Amino acid sequence: MKFTNAAAVSAVALASVLALAACSGDGARSSGTPNAGTSADAAADYSSLSGTITAGGSSAQANVQQAWTTAFTAQAGNVKINYDKSQGSGGGVTNWLNGSYDFAGTDAALSADQFTKAQTTCGSDGGVNIPVYLSGVSIIFKLDGVKKLNLDAKTIASIFAGTITQWNDPAITALNKGVTLPSTPISVVHRSDGSGTTNNFTTYLHQQAPAVWTWDAGTAWPNNVGSGQQGGSGVVNTVEAGNGTIGYADQSSIGDATAAAIEVGETGTFVEYSEAAATESLAQSGTIAPQGEGDLTVDIDTTKITDATAYPIPLLSYDVLCRSFKDADQGKITAAYLGFVVSKTGQEIGAKNADAAPLPHSYLAKAAETLASVK
Amino acid sequence: MRPSDRIFRVLSTGSAGLIMVILAGVALFLIIKAGPAIVANWSANPDLAGGTTHGYTSFWSYVGPLVWGTLFSSLIALVLGAPVAIGIALFISHYAPRRLAGVLGYLVDLLAAVPSVVFGLWGIFVIRPFIIPFQDWLNHYLGWIPLFSGQVSQTGSTMLAGGLVLAVMILPIITSISREIFLQTPKLHEEAALALGSTRWEMVKLAVFPYARSGILSATLLGLGRALGETMAIAMIISPALLFSVRILTDTGNSQTIAANAALNFPESNPLQRDALIATGLALFVISFGVNFIARWIISRTGGSRRLRKAGSR
Repeated sequence: MKFTNAAAVSAVALASVLALAACSGDGARSSGTPNAGTSADAAADYSSLSGTITAGGSSAQANVQQAWTTAFTAQAGNVKINYDKSQGSGGGVTNWLNGSYDFAGTDAALSADQFTKAQTTCGSDGGVNIPVYLSGVSIIFKLDGVKKLNLDAKTIASIFAGTITQWNDPAITALNKGVTLPSTPISVVHRSDGSGTTNNFTTYLHQQAPAVWTWDAGTAWPNNVGSGQQGGSGVVNTVEAGNGTIGYADQSSIGDATAAAIEVGETGTFVEYSEAAATESLAQSGTIAPQGEGDLTVDIDTTKITDATAYPIPLLSYDVLCRSFKDADQGKITAAYLGFVVSKTGQEIGAKNADAAPLPHSYLAKAAETLASVK
Repeated sequence: MRPSDRIFRVLSTGSAGLIMVILAGVALFLIIKAGPAIVANWSANPDLAGGTTHGYTSFWSYVGPLVWGTLFSSLIALVLGAPVAIGIALFISHYAPRRLAGVLGYLVDLLAAVPSVVFGLWGIFVIRPFIIPFQDWLNHYLGWIPLFSGQVSQTGSTMLAGGLVLAVMILPIITSISREIFLQTPKLHEEAALALGSTRWEMVKLAVFPYARSGILSATLLGLGRALGETMAIAMIISPALLFSVRILTDTGNSQTIAANAALNFPESNPLQRDALIATGLALFVISFGVNFIARWIISRTGGSRRLRKAGSR
C-alpha cells in the first residue's frame, strides 16, 4: 500500500503532528485549515477511506491507541475508531475470536490454541500478530534520602520473592557502592489484577534468575509477598505514598516516580530506561517466530541482552487481526489504520504522546509487509 | 374510572412480575454460565492453568477463600459501621434539635449518593495513610490476638482500611431505616417511661429499642447486603490474597472478596476463567439470597410480637 512508502511517510511526519496540535482530533475540519495543505496531498490515501473500526483489549495500549486514533482520524476524517481498553488483553482476544472486533490489542501474542481458533473466525488464512507498542517495565521505588538505585535481576527476584526484606541488605549495598542505605524494611508492591505488565516482569525474572524466582511467568502475581494494588496507577500511587516501597509498572505510567537502573546481564553496567534503550532491548532480545504466514509473534529472551545500550526489561504489546476480512472494505480501513500505526510517523506519535518506544526498523518493515497483504 | 383502574392494575402487576422475571433471568444466566467452570477438571484443563485460576484443584477450593473473604470483610464493616449508624439515627430521632436533625439526616442520605469509586480513592489517599500509625499501635500492643497479628502493613492497604471505608458506605442505609423506625416509637410508650422517672437514655432503652429491635436488625442486614456486593472500593483499597485469614493489619493476609476478585481478574481472563468468575458470582448470589432470607425470617418472627404490642398500646 502506498502509505507505507517511506518517502510519503516522512513527509507526513511533521504535518500530522502539526495537524494534531492544531485541531486536536477534529479531523473533518483539519482539511479546511491552510497549514494542513501539506498533509492533505500526502494523506490522500486516508481521506478516501470511510467506516468504523471496532477494536479493544490491552489497557497498556490505551494511551497510545488514543494518540494514534487522533492522528489517523485527523487525516482520514470519515473513519471512526473505537478502542475499548476496559476489555483487557484476554477480553480483547475473546471478542476478536468471536468476530466482534476488527482487531484486538493484547500484551501476549496469540497462543497456539488461539491461533488455530482464529481460522474459524477469519477463514483458512487465519490471523496474524503485529507488534505495535514497545515500552519497558520500570522498577520504581521510594526511599527517603535515596534518589538513585542500582539493581540486578537476582536482587530484584529476591526482593519480589520476599527473601530480601531490608534496604541495607548486603546484596543491595554491594550494587550501590557509595550510597548509604537505611535499614528500612522493604515493602513490595505488585499488581492485584491480571496484567500483561506482570507477565512481562515475571518472564524477565523467570529467565534471568530461575534459581530465586521459582514461579512460572504469568498475568497473575504468583506469590503471597507484598501489597497488591489495582492497575499500574494503583502500584505507582502506593509506591509514591510509602517509604521503603518498591514496585514495577509500565514505564509510560510511572509519572514522577523514581526508577532504578537495571544491570544488563552480569556485565556490571546499569541501564536506566530510555526510549532508545527499549528499542535496542527488543532488537537484541527478540526473534520473530511466525506461527503462520505473515505472523510476527516475537520470542523475547532477555538473557540475550548483553549490550549496555539496551534496557533489560522490555514490554511488547501486539494488535491481532485477520489476514482476510469477510468485508473487504473493513479489511482495507483496518489495515490502513494499523499500517499507519507501524509507520515511522505512527511510532513517532506514540513516542511523543504516549511515551512508547519506537519499534526497531526491521520489525516495522515486516509489519508493513504483512499488513499490505491483508485483504 | 374503570379503564384507568384496569390500566393501572395491569401496569403495577406487570412491574411486580417483571422483577420476578429479571431475578429468575439473572439466576438462570449465572447457572448456565457457571456450569462449565464448576464441572471442569481444574487440575488438568489448560485454560485454567494460568492466571487467576492457576494452581487450584477444583472450583470449590477456588471459591472457598473468596466466600470467607466476602463474609469476613462485610462482618468487619458491620461491626464498625452498624453501632455508629444506629447512634446517628438515635441522635437524629431523639436528641438533636429539629433543625439540626433535618440537616444531619439529609447529609447522611447524601453519603448514599457518593459513587463507590470516590470512596475507593478516598480510602487510598486519606484512610490508608491515616490508619498506618494506628495499625502499628494495635499490632504492637494487641498483636497476640490473631485479628491483629502478622507483619503489619506499611502501605495501609489492609482489611481494616477496607472495612472502615465499607463501614462508611453502609452507614446511610442503616441510619435512614433505623431513624424511620425510631421515629415511629409510640409517643405514649416514651411518655410513660419518662413519667416513671426515666432519664432520656433509660427511656430509649425501655421504650425505643424494644420497639425498634427487629427494624434495627433488618436495617443491619440490608447494610450487610450492601457490604457483600461492594466491589470497586474493596478492589482499590485492599491488597488481596486468596486464603482463609482473620488478619486485618497485614498486606498479605487479607482474604479477597468475590466481587473484587471478579472485577480485578475479568479483563485478563480467557472464556473458561470468565465462567469460573461468574460461578463465584453465583456463590455470591446464593449468599445474598441466604442473608435476605434469614433477615425476612427474623423480621417475620419478631415483627409479629411488635404488631401485638403496637395493637395493645392503642
